[in-house]
Amino acid sequence: MNFLKKLTYLFIAVLILASCSNDDDSGDPVLPLGDYENGILITNEGPFGTGTGTISFISEDNSTNEGSIFQNVNESELGNIVQSIGFNGDNAYIVVNNSHKIQVVNRYTFELVATIDTGLINPRNFVAVENSGYVTNWGDPFDDADDFVAVIDLTTNTIVETISVDFGPEKLITDRNNVYVAHKGGYSQNNKITIIDTSNNTVNSTVDVGDVPNSMVLIDNDLWILCGGNPSFATTETNGSLVKLDLNSNNLIQTFDFNNTTDHPSSLTIYGSNLLYNLNGSVFSVDVDTPSIPTTSILDGSFYTMTANGGKLYATDAGDFASNGTLKVFDLSTNTEVESYTVGIIPGGIYFN
Amino acid sequence: MMKRYLFILFTFCFSATSMLAQLDSIQNLDEVVVVDAKLTKYSEGFKVRSISDTLVSRNNTSLTDVLRFNSSIYFKENGYGMVSSPSFRGTNASQTAVIWNGISINSNLNGQTDFNLIVPNAADHITIRSGGGSVQYGSGAIGGSVHLNNKISFKKAQENELELSHGSYETSKFNFRRITSSKSMYSSVNVNYINSLNDYKYIDKELKNENGAFQKLNVGYNFGARFNNHILTWNSNYFYGDRDFSSSITAPSNNNYKDVTTRNLLTWIMKSNQFISKVKTAHLFERYRYFPDKDKLQFSEGKTNTYIADYSLEYFASEKLKFNTTLNYTLIDGKGSNIDSNKRNTLSAVILMKHNISSKLSYGVNVRQEFLNDFENPLLISLDGKYQIKPWYAIKMNASRNYRVPTFNDLYWDAGGNIDLIPETSLQAEIGNVFNFSDLELSLNGFYIDSKDLISWRPNETGLWQPINIAETQNYGLEFSSEFSKRINQHALSLLMSYSYTKAINKEKNKQLLYVPFHKATGLLQYQYKNISFNYQLLYNGEVFTTTDNIGIVEDYLVSNIGLEYQLNTNKTPITLGGNINNLFNIYYENVAYRPMPDRNIKIFINFKF
Repeated sequence: MNFLKKLTYLFIAVLILASCSNDDDSGDPVLPLGDYENGILITNEGPFGTGTGTISFISEDNSTNEGSIFQNVNESELGNIVQSIGFNGDNAYIVVNNSHKIQVVNRYTFELVATIDTGLINPRNFVAVENSGYVTNWGDPFDDADDFVAVIDLTTNTIVETISVDFGPEKLITDRNNVYVAHKGGYSQNNKITIIDTSNNTVNSTVDVGDVPNSMVLIDNDLWILCGGNPSFATTETNGSLVKLDLNSNNLIQTFDFNNTTDHPSSLTIYGSNLLYNLNGSVFSVDVDTPSIPTTSILDGSFYTMTANGGKLYATDAGDFASNGTLKVFDLSTNTEVESYTVGIIPGGIYFN
Repeated sequence: MMKRYLFILFTFCFSATSMLAQLDSIQNLDEVVVVDAKLTKYSEGFKVRSISDTLVSRNNTSLTDVLRFNSSIYFKENGYGMVSSPSFRGTNASQTAVIWNGISINSNLNGQTDFNLIVPNAADHITIRSGGGSVQYGSGAIGGSVHLNNKISFKKAQENELELSHGSYETSKFNFRRITSSKSMYSSVNVNYINSLNDYKYIDKELKNENGAFQKLNVGYNFGARFNNHILTWNSNYFYGDRDFSSSITAPSNNNYKDVTTRNLLTWIMKSNQFISKVKTAHLFERYRYFPDKDKLQFSEGKTNTYIADYSLEYFASEKLKFNTTLNYTLIDGKGSNIDSNKRNTLSAVILMKHNISSKLSYGVNVRQEFLNDFENPLLISLDGKYQIKPWYAIKMNASRNYRVPTFNDLYWDAGGNIDLIPETSLQAEIGNVFNFSDLELSLNGFYIDSKDLISWRPNETGLWQPINIAETQNYGLEFSSEFSKRINQHALSLLMSYSYTKAINKEKNKQLLYVPFHKATGLLQYQYKNISFNYQLLYNGEVFTTTDNIGIVEDYLVSNIGLEYQLNTNKTPITLGGNINNLFNIYYENVAYRPMPDRNIKIFINFKF
């Protein structure tokens, strides 16, 4: 059994992902839309293999910290390895990796709207473009040639098309008519961004970036991509890099290499005109107007994922990966921790309702 | 280190050169010859319990089932028939040694035995030895050890036994054994096969156990020859297991796992008045193949070949004092998709001493030192004693220092393996009380185990999972067992009960370890009238924790089985017909979170002896 357990741990280790950087505005609701209207949603992967992931809700006014909200509302299990959430209108699309499905819920009430469980194989992340949802899928994780992006018709919640892509597609982000897919590389490593034209759902081009692109953010006409570099157990360990892609030309225009091959940054997020990321137990900040790799950090901590929002940095600690994790909140004007909440097992995604 | 080596060498020579006194009773070679002396003669202060053949036959699907219903060992079974890891006195799966005819057969890859890959009918005796046994049996015997022994006896006999059974989920079993023996020869062959779809329904759910089918084939051969003062024995066992790994409530699966193990052991025993010398050579092979998608050919694998040369000399210094010294050389050659190709050499020296001060009081002192290429090993010591205070009451005590060496996966796994690991060590002590009345036997044991440098896989600063010697645990608890039997005319009644309370604390968090129940109880009521017998089996398994903060739990459960047997032909070729209903009350229970166990199921069997 130990062998499997270890294998599982390894899987989990490679499953590390930063938060989805869906910068969607939740509109300006006037009437209460549901119990989970104003607050933070945390996806907790849950234990691998057996068990279920959960979603925690922390209300904006700090009055509520509720775990397992999907289960509480729907009285059914959410699924194994809750990977991420994507949003469209009033709906939240909860991507459940190891159950190979997406649970569609109302993002404010968390009532189940639909379950999409046909055609997804190890789904990872979701992004909506108008009436279509785009979902990255690893396919068989041990097969590098069957990876795809599934296209979902959001009115029927069925998969209408699949787009074959390079191996290990992970995060995706949309701008204009394009979807940008970062190929982190599944259980191994990759170094590509696939650009999908959503008008005809074909691959427009593929751009080589640094090794292991793990997180992306959009600022004006630029797509900033943080590449973690190949980890120590890869054939060749490489340093991480921060890459800037021009969205007009879809060309790579700048690359900032980290100093050491052992530097593997993660969790790129935006704070004003700054890019924040996590590296070697610290959080660093880069001004996008005068970009360079900083040498001094703004605060300490090693996080499973982190996302900045409203002048605060939300960061999770998965602890021993076998018990409830923690969400920490830092005030970015003083760089000090202001709040801490208990969340579920392996908190891997932070979203704002 | 050198000093220690010299000490052992000295003692070894000393015990081999003195030439005094005479023999004790063990030389009654006309009956049973091959016994594991370490188990029978040098474990007096330990709780050693045999599981009778009847009990084995009742739950003979797997060793998991035999021990789950008949001992206080807890099993974490990943869905029925899937990977099954024991927790003996709250220790982890690699801290329970499985010993086949005196040799440890725990996997060198992951350190443990999957109890669903052991076919219980292949052994003649299944014995549970509680408490630390690393001195006698090497790495891993921390919580206790489970012994699978084949009997070789020299008396004229010819026995054949055939059992066929069929039951729910298209489960079919075939067990055959043939023994032929004379005053100078012994040979037995056994063939065991089981095949099951294992697609039970999850009670109150719209799901069934998908992808859970398994089949297992085991062939064993045991041979003995005796001439003058020499005995030659040969034990072989071949196993093939093919299992789909079942889905859970929340995750589908299309995995498959194939295991092959072979074991061969050649022993040459020579006895003289004061000595019994044993030369053993053995070869063990294990291989797993894991198919993440069974519809594809792609798999990962790991295998090891183990070569053992072992010399032991038992010396009877006097009627009351005996020594057993052993020198053992083991070479393990491991290879695998994730562990590359690596070898381990181990030389170990063991001295066991047993002294009967009087007919009531005895004690033993046992020492082991190993010399390995990978790491330095602690000196292991074990002390035990037994005092028969009254004819009906005895007290047993033991204390020992035990260890578990890092496995090939721990050391070499790509990525994460850590070659700087050191062995886990534990100190333990136990007191046992045994009460023997005419119809009733009671035992009450209290144990304490303190372990350190436990190997635990954790993410390092770069997020890579690596094993490190970090965890410390403290286990303590109580075990109670009772056996009552009474025969009046043609009525026979027996009642077996056990209860254990186990506290296993992770010192870092001060919480109970994952998947260790505080409470476990078993019960068995048997009633026989003439040639009809009835039995009722009961298992209570307390709640277990699934998260290290003890928030996630798997609820406790109580399962009942019943069985009825009828012997058709009570003369020399008896035929027994029988049936069992397992999970009689059709309760829903999980052994591992989100992995339901079977609903009510039946089995019928027929057994021929000829």
